[in-house]
Amino acid sequence: MRRAIRTALAWSVVSLGAVAAAWAHHSFAAAFDMNKPVTVQGTIVQVRLENPHSWFFLDVKDAGGKVERWAFEAGTPSGMVRNGFKPGIIKKGVEVTIKGFHAKDPSQNMGMLRELVLADGTVYGMFGSQQGPAAQ
Amino acid sequence: MTPRLIATIVTAGFLFALASSAPAVKDVAAEQDGAGLAPPKPQDGGGPVPRMADGHPDLSGVWWGGADIGAARGRGGRGGARGGGARGTPPPTFTSLYKPEAAAKAKTLGDKDDPTLRCVPTAFGTLNVSLYDVGAVGQIISTPKMMVMLTETYHGFRLVPTDGRAHRDDVPPAYRGDSVGHWEGDTFVVDTTNFTDNTWMSAEGRVSHHSDALHIVERYRRVDANTLEVEATVEDPQVLTAPWTVPKQTLVLAPFDRIMSLNCSGIETQALMDAAAKQSTGK
Repeated sequence: MRRAIRTALAWSVVSLGAVAAAWAHHSFAAAFDMNKPVTVQGTIVQVRLENPHSWFFLDVKDAGGKVERWAFEAGTPSGMVRNGFKPGIIKKGVEVTIKGFHAKDPSQNMGMLRELVLADGTVYGMFGSQQGPAAQ
Repeated sequence: MTPRLIATIVTAGFLFALASSAPAVKDVAAEQDGAGLAPPKPQDGGGPVPRMADGHPDLSGVWWGGADIGAARGRGGRGGARGGGARGTPPPTFTSLYKPEAAAKAKTLGDKDDPTLRCVPTAFGTLNVSLYDVGAVGQIISTPKMMVMLTETYHGFRLVPTDGRAHRDDVPPAYRGDSVGHWEGDTFVVDTTNFTDNTWMSAEGRVSHHSDALHIVERYRRVDANTLEVEATVEDPQVLTAPWTVPKQTLVLAPFDRIMSLNCSGIETQALMDAAAKQSTGK
């Protein structure tokens, strides 16, 4: 059992390292708390497809009506475009749900974008792949 | 280590792998049009090496490893183990050759200190291909008198005269150095010096500081119409115990003829990394 755990642990760490290296211009493991998934729903206020990473900014309203600005880091712009993300496809004012992982600093309203979901069910990943009506 | 902690780490690894492979999502690149949007296709050699008017190989083209970051790799872009090392041991890396004092300095640095977070390019390249710099795509415009090397990510360029002239002594040190070139048969040799010492060799938080004595010699050989091989040797006697022989990289011709112009502003990313470091280490 102990050996199995060690094997699983090693596989996990290798996956983590390889994936982070393939993804990023910085270490994602260093920036985000992978034990803290986060989901927010709000209105896009800005999308910046730029290096070293693209960012999605949105306003999120809590139950009391207070609005907080959140920012989610996505992939590199060249990777996103070449994987099918057309510039301008997510516009200011669009309602979205973003699922990801929270920044390591809990005081920051920041996270890593794992999935961006539009109201019609279209899903964009970190590098712009998608599923749902827009992909038909 | 508690079972709960083990489970947490294992879960995190699986989640990372899962997210990166983007399961159940449709690759729509094939439906796109315009420069840079067609997916890489497996290529054969593509025919003989094209040549310039002076008879030397024409190195022109957009070169990559078969895909951009975030997509499955196609043919080419391989590097790695051919760089040396005894059987069963990995080939040396730049930092594995650090002198003790350089290794000690590296231990004082971390992810948040990576200059690329502030849009400063690398001195060499994350994927051990200087043409890519921090990204995964680069372009060469080959002329008999000048080789123009353009980097997509972070807007790097190198103008490499091909007549074997000496390095300039009238320019300040630069992130990407000063390059001169010459032909050895069908191999184009690029010699680069005059680097600043405020960049790293690669990005992604991989601490890889160097000195201003950095000297890189690269050898470019187009082996067929679709394939470019690049070998390099890196010297930095101030921080390395020996020259680093970079594993040979094999690049393939991308199915588009222009790289993109992309902005860089590391404001949020730097803030993210600074805060994460403070959270993790308290400084």
